[in-house]
Amino acid sequence: MAYLIELFLFIVVVGIVDAGLPWPRPEKRQ
Amino acid sequence: MIAGHFGLAAGVKAKEPAVPLWALMLATSWLDVVFVPLFLTGVETIEKAPDATGPYGADIIHANYTHSLFGAIVLSLVFGFVARRFWGDRAGVVLGLVAFSHWVLDLLVHRGDLPILIGNVGHLPTLGFGLWRYPAVSATLELLLVLGGAWLYWRAARATAEAAGGAQRARADLSAALILIFGLGTLAADLSGFLS
Repeated sequence: MAYLIELFLFIVVVGIVDAGLPWPRPEKRQ
Repeated sequence: MIAGHFGLAAGVKAKEPAVPLWALMLATSWLDVVFVPLFLTGVETIEKAPDATGPYGADIIHANYTHSLFGAIVLSLVFGFVARRFWGDRAGVVLGLVAFSHWVLDLLVHRGDLPILIGNVGHLPTLGFGLWRYPAVSATLELLLVLGGAWLYWRAARATAEAAGGAQRARADLSAALILIFGLGTLAADLSGFLS
C-alpha cells in the first residue's frame, strides 16, 4: 500500500509541475 | 525494483517530450498497479527468499499473471492501446514499450520467479537473473537509473524552457529536483524495507 501511495504522490506532484513546462503537444488523433 | 522504473520513465521523457510524464510514470508501474489488487485478493503472492540477508529485494514474487512474459505483453498492449486513444499512435507505442520495460528491468533483478505463460501454464522454466541476491549491485543499478533519468530529464526540460524564452527555467529545475528527490526517496524506502 505504501508503494501505491508513493506512486500516486510521484505522479501527482511531479506530473503537475512537469505539465506546466512548454513541452511539445502529442500528435492529434485523426 | 521500484525507483529504477521511475528513473527509466524520466529518461524516456527526455527523448519523447510530447508524452506526458505522469503517463510515463504510470506506464512504468502499470504491471505493479495491476499486481496490487491480485495480491490483496491472494491471487498473486509473495514469500521471503531463504537466502535474503535484508529487506531489500528479499522476496520471491509469485505474480504468475501480471509478471509472466505473456501477461506483461498483454498488459502493455492494453496500456498502449488506451494511451493511443488519448495521445496518438506514437505516444501509444512509447507508453506500451515503457510498460513492458517494467518486465525487462524486473527480469534483471528477480530470483527466477517470472513465468513465461500467463498463470504459469505448463510450468515452463521461470525467469530472472537474480541481481537481488547482490543487493549492492541491484541498488547501484537503480541508483544509476534514477540519476541518469533525472539528469536526462533536467537537460531536456531546461532546453525546452530556454527555447520558450527562459521564463520556465525555474520550473524545469524544480521538476527535475522533484524527480531526483522522489526517486532517491523511493530507493531509500525500498532499501529500508518500508515499501515491502
